[in-house]
Amino acid sequence: MNIIEIKGLKKDYPLGATVVNALRGIDLAVEEGELMSIVGPSGSGKTTLLNVIGCIDHATEGSVQIGGREITALNDREITGIRLHKIGFIFQTFNLIPVLDVRENVEFPLLLMKKYSGAELHKRADKLIEEVGLKEFTKHRPAELSGGQRQRVAIARALVTNPDIVLADEPTANLDSVTGASILELMKEMNRVEKTTFIFSTHDANVLQYAKRIVKIKDGLTVQ
Amino acid sequence: MKLILTIAWRNILRHKSKSLIIGFILFLGALLMTLGNGVISGMDRGVSKNIVNGFLGDIVIISEKQKTDNILLNMMGTSIEPIYNYKQIKQALQSQDYLDRFLPAGKNLALALTSESNQNPGFAFMLGVDFEAYRKMFPNAFTALEGGFLEPGKRGILVPVSARNEFFDYTNIWIIPEHGALVKENLPAETQKDPYSIFIDSAIVLMGMNESNSSTDIRFPVKGIIKYRALNTIFGHFSITDIESYRECLGYFSATGKSLDVPKEEQKLLSMESGDLDALFSEDTLMVSNERTRAQAPANVLQKNTPAPQADIEDGAYNLVFVKLKGRVSEKQALTRLNKALTDAHLGVRAITWKKASGPIGGMASLIKGALFIFVMLLFVVAIIIIINTLTMSALERTPEIGMMRAIGAKKSFISGMFLGETAILSAFFGGAGIVCGIIIVKIIPLLKIRTANDMLQILYGGDVFSPVLNTADILTTLVQLGIVTLCAALYPMLVARNITPLEAIARD
Repeated sequence: MNIIEIKGLKKDYPLGATVVNALRGIDLAVEEGELMSIVGPSGSGKTTLLNVIGCIDHATEGSVQIGGREITALNDREITGIRLHKIGFIFQTFNLIPVLDVRENVEFPLLLMKKYSGAELHKRADKLIEEVGLKEFTKHRPAELSGGQRQRVAIARALVTNPDIVLADEPTANLDSVTGASILELMKEMNRVEKTTFIFSTHDANVLQYAKRIVKIKDGLTVQ
Repeated sequence: MKLILTIAWRNILRHKSKSLIIGFILFLGALLMTLGNGVISGMDRGVSKNIVNGFLGDIVIISEKQKTDNILLNMMGTSIEPIYNYKQIKQALQSQDYLDRFLPAGKNLALALTSESNQNPGFAFMLGVDFEAYRKMFPNAFTALEGGFLEPGKRGILVPVSARNEFFDYTNIWIIPEHGALVKENLPAETQKDPYSIFIDSAIVLMGMNESNSSTDIRFPVKGIIKYRALNTIFGHFSITDIESYRECLGYFSATGKSLDVPKEEQKLLSMESGDLDALFSEDTLMVSNERTRAQAPANVLQKNTPAPQADIEDGAYNLVFVKLKGRVSEKQALTRLNKALTDAHLGVRAITWKKASGPIGGMASLIKGALFIFVMLLFVVAIIIIINTLTMSALERTPEIGMMRAIGAKKSFISGMFLGETAILSAFFGGAGIVCGIIIVKIIPLLKIRTANDMLQILYGGDVFSPVLNTADILTTLVQLGIVTLCAALYPMLVARNITPLEAIARD
């Protein structure tokens, strides 16, 4: 069953007097539980595609369905709801809330959902923190963690709401190769255990071995 | 909510310098707001207390014919319409259970005359009362600085310090009480060195100013020099006389005139049916004595201290009736009820509040209150602008953080709440401290007994002594004002923050 269905997706950005066609008619279907990588050179449209899938950006044209629901015509409140309940994000750098510790950062999306008791929050957060190997850092603030540890926290936070999809935009771009590899291993493991759909973008050929499926993108179009 | 406050509190600690700047502004704003409210309240209470308890009462009854309500300092000679039916008014007032006391009085402007032909006459406000009743109505209104008070049934005048000084300024005559001695210390500073250069007298000649030109000039023996307990620069113009002398001075029918079988010609003289004023200026009775002595001896007061004939004093004319209300009776309700009772009884009078009756004083108090309010508002605006600027900068600096929060599902309301929370915490902490400091200062100021003789400051002070005061309502008002400042200051940064999109955060990154 397809969790994501994209048809004829176009995204244009005005740039001064000209218009940049970031996406020029993408057709893509992603099945539940996939571990997919979007690859392509810089400026190919990877991040734009992830942003549209993640309801962070709007499509100029075309259809985007998540879990069978068309998202291109939703208002801000509904879009925010989808981001909270259906999607988990792992960004390249700006990932965590600096004034919250590891556990609070992981609990943050659950607190926004307002449907879990304090004990449940702690239980879910602690389970994931343990799974990403940060049990001893629960009370640490982001500034006290390494880049790899921060990305691990981001992964735990992205998974804590049991989302349908986790989107990761170049999650290893700022990490050394060893740390990057461990992060990708973790995502692979989570995909296996939690059956969560993972889509990550990269332009590093070394990370492709972790993906079950690779979608190449160039000049705003998917390349077969 | 707990999450919002946690993030807000930690952000405050994270951005200490910005928090301190905002906090200091809030502290200063709250402090000044509290002090301002204390001064306004103190002024309101002081003016109200001093005028109500010391001079006018809560309500004043005036003739329906009286054109203006301002009867306290109606300068330029406009006289106050007389009331001739006090006994009926009294009956109506006695049936009103919400009234505590009432006192009929005569009040008008008079010319203070001298025998020197080249000197311009001065002005004096006269308050004609039954002195015993007056003391019961306003027991602590003034103290005697020299001499004593008016005795029952006897004629005379009590001259306030300010009126004596004014009289001295334009006549060089220093008024002292009859049978009194010159108190050098009370002389103006510039004459204390050479007290023999001045004239002293124990009587004053006043000619009532009456639009019907029916007044006469009366020589009043000075019984005492008084000092009002507060607002001397306002009340200090009012000399207090016995009501019968006042009536004669103003040319009203007096009780004596009514009770005695006065020969027609004398009656005519008293009520001034004659328009020939010059005929009244005979040297026998009217003008200031030329037998003033130099200052080494008490003045030789020539006026006979004639006991007033026994008569029902309430039969004569008055100008006003001062009314005091019982305990916690609402002034507005009392005024409505009283006016209805007076109208129903067809007494030809109306009741007005002390504020209306005090005219420019009430207006001045309102003006100062307004000025203080505007000052506090200006502080608000400045504080709000600085806080808005600082918080907006903070919001923009935190674009990646806010964008990330939005990306993972935080609603706009959450972001708004976070900024409001930060401002509210700062406001509660620093603003609260400002209010507490303000309360402490307001409590300390009256203990310092800061006095003033300046007219404007006396109104600002609500009396002679600077006595700001804060009651629960004032503190609540300050809290509400602080709340408004907080809300206004947080509003724009909240809008900026809530409109930050995840995309902007990515672009910034």
